[in-house]
Amino acid sequence: MILHPAVIALLTGSLIVSLMIAYAAFWAYKIIDAWDLQSGSEQQLALEKKTYLVSTLMTYAFGFQVLSFFLLVFVADDLHRLFVGAMCAAGTLNVNEYGYPAVVLKVLNCLLGGVWLVLNHTDNQASDYPLIRRKYSLLLVIVPFLLFETGQLWSYFLNLKAHVITSCCGSLFSTEEEGFAAGLAALPAVPMQVLFFGSMALVMGSGIFFLGGGSGGKIFGVAGTLAFPVSVAALISFISVCFYELPTHHCPFCILQREYHYVGYLIYVTLLGGGISGAGAWALMSFRSVPSLKAVVPRIQKRLAWAGLVFYAVLSGVVILKMIFSDFVLIGY
Amino acid sequence: MVELKNITKVFNRNRPDEFTALEDVSLLVEERKVTVFKGPSGSGKTTLLSIVGAMAKPTSGRVLVGAREITSLPERFLTEVRRRTFGFIFQQFHLIRGISALENVMLPAYTTGEKHAALRERALRLLELFGLSAKARARVEWLSGGEAQRVTIARALVNDPKVIIADEPTAHLDTKLSKDFLGIMERLNAEAKTILIASHDPLVYESTMVDHIIEMRDGRIRGSGPAE
Amino acid sequence: MSLHERHRNIIDFALSSLGRRWKKNLALTVVYAFVVFTLASVVFFTEAVKSEARAVLRGAPEIVVQRLMAGRHDLIPESHIDVLRKITGTRQVQGRLWGYYFEPSTGANYTVVASGEPPLEPGTIAIGQGVARTLNAGEGDLIPLKGSKGDYASFEVVRVFSHESELVSSDLIEMHADDLRAFFGVPEDYFTDITLKVRNEKELVVVADKIRRLLPDTRPILRDEILRTYDSLFDWRSGLLLVIFAGAVAAFVIFAWDKATSLSMEERREMGVLKAVGWETSEVIAMKSWEGIIISLAAFFGGTVLAYVHVFFSSAFIFEPVLKGWAVLYPRFQLVPQIDPYQVLALFFLTVVPYTVATVIPTWSAATVDPDSIMRL
Repeated sequence: MILHPAVIALLTGSLIVSLMIAYAAFWAYKIIDAWDLQSGSEQQLALEKKTYLVSTLMTYAFGFQVLSFFLLVFVADDLHRLFVGAMCAAGTLNVNEYGYPAVVLKVLNCLLGGVWLVLNHTDNQASDYPLIRRKYSLLLVIVPFLLFETGQLWSYFLNLKAHVITSCCGSLFSTEEEGFAAGLAALPAVPMQVLFFGSMALVMGSGIFFLGGGSGGKIFGVAGTLAFPVSVAALISFISVCFYELPTHHCPFCILQREYHYVGYLIYVTLLGGGISGAGAWALMSFRSVPSLKAVVPRIQKRLAWAGLVFYAVLSGVVILKMIFSDFVLIGY
Repeated sequence: MVELKNITKVFNRNRPDEFTALEDVSLLVEERKVTVFKGPSGSGKTTLLSIVGAMAKPTSGRVLVGAREITSLPERFLTEVRRRTFGFIFQQFHLIRGISALENVMLPAYTTGEKHAALRERALRLLELFGLSAKARARVEWLSGGEAQRVTIARALVNDPKVIIADEPTAHLDTKLSKDFLGIMERLNAEAKTILIASHDPLVYESTMVDHIIEMRDGRIRGSGPAE
Repeated sequence: MSLHERHRNIIDFALSSLGRRWKKNLALTVVYAFVVFTLASVVFFTEAVKSEARAVLRGAPEIVVQRLMAGRHDLIPESHIDVLRKITGTRQVQGRLWGYYFEPSTGANYTVVASGEPPLEPGTIAIGQGVARTLNAGEGDLIPLKGSKGDYASFEVVRVFSHESELVSSDLIEMHADDLRAFFGVPEDYFTDITLKVRNEKELVVVADKIRRLLPDTRPILRDEILRTYDSLFDWRSGLLLVIFAGAVAAFVIFAWDKATSLSMEERREMGVLKAVGWETSEVIAMKSWEGIIISLAAFFGGTVLAYVHVFFSSAFIFEPVLKGWAVLYPRFQLVPQIDPYQVLALFFLTVVPYTVATVIPTWSAATVDPDSIMRL
């Protein structure tokens, strides 16, 4: 194990977030079990109070979770010097088999957490709390993912030993290697560009249509959700390459560094924001028929559509600007 | 205005210190009337007021505010009803020390999202109405008992509620101030406010403005009728 | 109805609430800031020393070849240089001469090296700041040093190295190669070790491998290995310090938890009043959270700035001995001020996150006080 300050921070953070979520889940379970709004019993009053605790815990946990993603990438980047062959975060994460699962789970949990907060917010708008059992069930689903993530993160750092020869991002995300990451990098740039901009256009189109007419929310939800994995693939396949101006460098993490003016933050935040907006809007689709939510859901979906449009528009804008103003031409790679 | 149906309130149910504060209370509070709850301390007056005022939920029974059933509302929505419908005047005033009279009056409206300037304007007008303009900036702990009570009344009115609820309002006031208080209540009643007062002070329940008196004992209504 | 206006009012009230209990909150903020300061000093210092070491080693040769004799570092014959020159991919193969000199009167160990280009005149030396300080010597002074045969030789100081390079040069004594040979008794055709540069960095490992095969009595050391060792050494040290300070953080978290739990009667009454006059539980929680955020921001900002000043402008006088480890000669170097977002983020996770979590439950339980509770007071 490496006793780096930021590693300690990450491990502590993941433990704290896990405890928070586990505690929230404990009450979620109790609420699912015994919730009865019609009752004036002291137990029901106490459970009602607990919903505030769960909301507060989840909000903080979500915030910490997003921040810890950036910290993890940073640490991985800083530690690359300790590993022969690792040139940036991508190489460090590849030192053992826990690194990438930890990152992927972290992103997934950020998305799930965001969707949960959207559900929670929606539910709190209706005086009969119609989603209460469903949202707390989702919380119970998130718990194992989060604990799994914490386990992977701890395993990753506990099994990290300096001087291990690893592949650097140059080879991990280089087009000659096998494997999933390399597969993403090997996706041909031009079709990937078509797919990326196509999905962005679909998000914009469906979003504007939905905001204009009020129908087509589902298309926006699905488009906004799917745009997330497409964008991640695009990030590895050609967006990162544009920023590095190196045809073989596909690392999605280096753009978080100072050399690239921290543009990675903008990309990651817009990507996550867009993904949560899309997935949130999609998740709400099936609750449009709940009587007490009839007026609420479309309103929140419109707000999500706005957010999704802004996030994805900024993302596309950054990518387009970079592609226009970069002398580097991708065609042929 | 407010209707209670078979309200029972039990504290610490199934524990050795179980205590029934209200038992099977039914009641209709009429709009624009002054109703006084009288009875010895411990008779359930305060608990009844807190249930009428949507501050607490009954253990069983139903509460209707207007036509709306509020018993099964979660706290989040109950608060909304309370904020819009009721203004409270407490026996101990319960002003927040260390901040000005004006801020105390504004406090209940802080979370409604109203523009700060507009809210301030309204609060100042209320203070002016009670002759407290000069004291608006003063900290509440520097106010006299009568002034503090009037600040409390202004605070109860800031969200323009339909119903004013006062719990033993004259307990800490001398006769003159008590009469002043009743004068203010009479004025508010004339302005179409419904007024509910819990009190065992004869000055209050023998006052001419009272429309209705409800007598309480041991968590039950023992008698109810128009004031003589 | 606007969310913005609502939060403005809530923040307003949170500020006035903090102000009304300023003594308690100030005490909390000071303790909090001190914890941040301590951890931030460790993190900043480590990072600065690491990047200093990197900067120093950037100009160093990529490979150093040492000869081993019975598993110990020994002098290396000049003939090895020719063997190394023949390896494809190498350039600039040079023999180096250096050694350590123990000065009994000051108890310090100096590093003596043969001067590079342009060479010093025989009989003269250039010394580092640390040497100058311990020997109380300046330019133009004559310094007697005791040679390997027990005789004293006097050298004239012609230069003292500048402050900027102090981390590397502090304990340095530079002299002419012939002087050094005579002083330490190093035979004519031997060197201390051999350095070489490689044309293509990617071939480093291949070259090192070849060296090991061609000259089995030697050990090639890669610059990157030294860097790694430095990095992990400093990471380890600061991590260890942080673990030690974990006790302090834990104590602080308990302190914060206790402060949040044991609200005064007055504070409880205030929350009851807010609830009674129409605040909703989540609004009271928001107000209390704002209080926490304001305290955290103040303490975090204050502690970080203090640590920055401590590390970069006062040379981390508090932690220096622990962190740097090898002492006597390095007491006063200035680190280049630098700060990375991830250090701040790491500190955030080590301080603000535990504080926030410690206060969540007490805040919640205070905020869920029944609104009618104040009618029973």
